[in-house]
Amino acid sequence: MSVLAVSNLAKRYHRGGKPFAAVDDVSFEIGPAETLALAGPSGSGKSTIARLVLRLIEPDAGRIDFEDSDFLALSGAALRARRARIQMVFQDPLAAFNPRATVARVLDDPLRIHGIASRAERPRRIAALLERVGLDAGLAAHAIHEISGGQRQRVAIARAIATRPSLIVLDEAVSALDVSVRGQILELLLDLQRRERIAYLFISHDLGVIRAVAHRVIILDAGRIAESGDARAVVTNPQSAIGKALVAATPKLIRNRP
Amino acid sequence: MTALLSIRDLSVRYRRDGVEATALKGVSLDVEAGERLAIIGESGSGKSTLALAIAGLLAGDAKTGGRIEWFLPASHPRLGRDIGFVFQDPSSSLDPVMPVGKQIAEVARTHLELTWPEAYAKAKTLLERVRLPDPDSALRAYPHQLSGGQKQRVAIAAAIAAAPKLLIADEATSALDTIVQAEIVALIRRLVAEDGMTLLFISHDIALAATLADRIAVLRHGELVELGETGQILDAPRHAYTRALLDAHLGLDAKPLLDRQGTPA
Ligand SMILES: Nc1ncnc2c1ncn2[C@@H]1O[C@H](COP(=O)(O)OP(=O)(O)OP(=O)(O)O)[C@@H](O)[C@H]1O
Ligand SMILES: Nc1ncnc2c1ncn2[C@@H]1O[C@H](COP(=O)(O)OP(=O)(O)OP(=O)(O)O)[C@@H](O)[C@H]1O
Ligand SMILES: [Mg+2]
Ligand SMILES: [Mg+2]
Repeated sequence: MSVLAVSNLAKRYHRGGKPFAAVDDVSFEIGPAETLALAGPSGSGKSTIARLVLRLIEPDAGRIDFEDSDFLALSGAALRARRARIQMVFQDPLAAFNPRATVARVLDDPLRIHGIASRAERPRRIAALLERVGLDAGLAAHAIHEISGGQRQRVAIARAIATRPSLIVLDEAVSALDVSVRGQILELLLDLQRRERIAYLFISHDLGVIRAVAHRVIILDAGRIAESGDARAVVTNPQSAIGKALVAATPKLIRNRP
Repeated sequence: MTALLSIRDLSVRYRRDGVEATALKGVSLDVEAGERLAIIGESGSGKSTLALAIAGLLAGDAKTGGRIEWFLPASHPRLGRDIGFVFQDPSSSLDPVMPVGKQIAEVARTHLELTWPEAYAKAKTLLERVRLPDPDSALRAYPHQLSGGQKQRVAIAAAIAAAPKLLIADEATSALDTIVQAEIVALIRRLVAEDGMTLLFISHDIALAATLADRIAVLRHGELVELGETGQILDAPRHAYTRALLDAHLGLDAKPLLDRQGTPA
């Protein structure tokens, strides 16, 4: 059983009047509690795949099965209900939230919209969510712009898990964070995955991060899958030209510890 | 080695919404002529403030203490002529409505007292040096017609147009993808070697800094916590914070956070 199965996905855009394929014949599956990473140079189609999977944009061809039903065929109330099961976390949580909204408000929205908790119950749910992502319940009253980048990304994760999703799409979700904070957020994501069996579509340009947290990886080049496989195996021994170039370009920290 | 500049007890305070905040406190360091010095640290640690202070670019309302002494023929180094500055976002340093050739030529004309035709010839040579494909047509291109990596090459060409003694690159590759980043780092390394420039390379990425720098300075909360040869910083860091930065790095050989059965570590 897979959480997400994408087959022969294609999306074309126009550049200089000519059509070009941003995503070209892409197929993959993600199982429960699995992390599939998407890597590739800038413009290779990673975010376009994320937007297609989230149905923020519609594909020109292909099929998306989410929790074993045709996701592209859904509309209206059925789509809204299913959307609760697939969530997202992006690079810049400030852009995703109203910066003046309070943390409580940001977490109240999904609980209300998806009818998950009654008005009376919601404050308790919000406190539990904050605790779940390692934040103090007192933070609920703070405005989004008043908290740090790492705290904001925890709030984004709390919001994503509020609706008990089976899949979270993370597009460069840890790229803007300091390394110490990044480590904590990655640990949090792994912990949530272990406990709640959430699958991740994990987009990153950083092969070190991918190797640390992903089970499998797909390397994209100009919208096509250049290679895919076990994350450690691909990073250790890439087969495609673009995979080799990405590994070669990754800065190596060579320490000769005595 | 002789020092190019000497920073003593530098402190910088900004005012925002009526509140003063310290961005740098008591920073002292010498930048040796011809060295490649990396400044690393996490967000808000004061890296850009230090770079701007050295370049004389601090905002007017910033309060500074301490001093920066230059060992140059000109007592007051000028940005563009003595110091080249490359920012993270090339779009912010390039004029969107001026062909890039003219922008580079203008720097050469201003600081090297060249005529326009001489300055344009210089611009073309510079575009060749930064390996922009087809320099002749690149001269006439506008910034929006170039990719992020190409724009950064143009920004570097403009920064080195007047043959500055010091090149400051503040997160100059952070907005680029891994492959383009490696190309730009290689370009900076080559240009610095060819022209005998001193390099101040500012980055939040300790691994990237280590690929380029002779010495690494570590900033934390506005203080210089450690400064040493790159090898010493990596192999025998003295400060716990430097060790924490090294340990947090997720390299291609680091122990994966994900523990998987059946896969030997
Ligand atoms: N709305 C759009 N209209 C036209 N072209 C687009 C649009 N969105 C994306 N593209 C193009 O599609 C290609 C893939 O873009 P995408 O954002 O998916 O790349 P990416 O792999 O996420 O890159 P990055 O690492 O820079 O985020 C790029 O060439 C991009 O310019
Ligand atoms: N113009 C300014 N006005 C007020 N405060 C400022 C200004 N510029 C920087 N600061 C503050 O000074 C401190 C140091 O900032 P600085 O930009 O030097 O850090 P940095 O190490 O370059 O960070 P980053 O990695 O995010 O670029 C931060 O707390 C920042 O918020
Ligand atoms: Mg993207
Ligand atoms: Mg900075």
